[in-house]
Amino acid sequence: MTKQTVKIFAASMVCAFCAAESLAAVPADAAGDLAAIATISVQAKANLSNAALGGNVDEITEAGKRSDAVDAAMAQGQDAYLSMERADQNGDQDAVASASEDLKSSLAKAVNALNGVIPDEIAQAVARQKKAPKNTGVKGRSYDVPNVYDVPWNSDRMRDFYQNHFANFWDSGIRPQDSETTPE
Amino acid sequence: MIRDRIIIGFAVAVCFGTSLVAVEAQEAGAPAVKAVFEASQAAIHDAEAEVEKARVAIAKGKELLALIPEDSPLMPDVAQVVEAASENWQIAIDSLKGAKESASKVATASNDSVAGDYALLAKVNAGVALSGAQVVQIALTYIEAIATEQTESVDIIRTALQDALASSSQVQFNYERVKSLIAAKYSK
Repeated sequence: MTKQTVKIFAASMVCAFCAAESLAAVPADAAGDLAAIATISVQAKANLSNAALGGNVDEITEAGKRSDAVDAAMAQGQDAYLSMERADQNGDQDAVASASEDLKSSLAKAVNALNGVIPDEIAQAVARQKKAPKNTGVKGRSYDVPNVYDVPWNSDRMRDFYQNHFANFWDSGIRPQDSETTPE
Repeated sequence: MIRDRIIIGFAVAVCFGTSLVAVEAQEAGAPAVKAVFEASQAAIHDAEAEVEKARVAIAKGKELLALIPEDSPLMPDVAQVVEAASENWQIAIDSLKGAKESASKVATASNDSVAGDYALLAKVNAGVALSGAQVVQIALTYIEAIATEQTESVDIIRTALQDALASSSQVQFNYERVKSLIAAKYSK
């Protein structure tokens, strides 16, 4: 190995190390941002329950509106994180940076929504979510959905969560099949 | 294979446990690290305040529980809520302790990168503590609504509690994600 080759090898190792470090640093921060948004969501629920206990209808409505808006921002943040992961896997650093910006923007929207500043875009996302048909089979599919009504607490959100899980499983094309029994 | 495990073990130990190498005392120097450190301190402060509020709510909750008749149809609900509150109280306490431990290691970290990672861990763990403490508060609000027979509030609070539990598990999940991403960074 010549001196020149050694230099090139050393330089490339340094570059690879730096690239790996910058690549890994973005998702860790991003996961931290996602955690921050979820924390804000819990705060919004605490505000809603306090309003409910107070019994003032206007306050309950306002707290509910803010809570829904925070959840919509959280959904956007989760989408951005997913995009970031995909871009990272494909080695597309521009897309990683762009998704990172989107995630930061979602965090800002969640903070604003908690304080009552709800941008039109988020208000529209909440309206779409509320308007979407519920529990009639995700995306209007014809198969019989499993009974997801008996989930604990009877929460719409948990019900949608399980129903979406089932829909994704169905979309994957994998079906539970009988396996042949082992001959004794 | 064994060497890989040692490297990963070392990285994890450097990040989360007792440092295996001699570290130089330093202040959180770089502006980015300083910003994360300040954010982590603020997060710990907020989490402490919420844990204290949860502690007060628990003390009050014990009295409220006595007001609910044992044959109340909502008693099974109350039992589940108490269980959820108890679990989240433990999470809040443990996470606050963990956040403080991580924050205490920022000043003695061997370099800015490690310091930044400790600060990030402290910040996110403080978030876990804060959300756990708030779940406890919501749970106690639910018990208060039942004890004081505010039937119209019970349904709203029940749904809020379920959603808060789902969001709180997201916070915990992302904390674990941050931990593994940082560990992966040092095992490369």
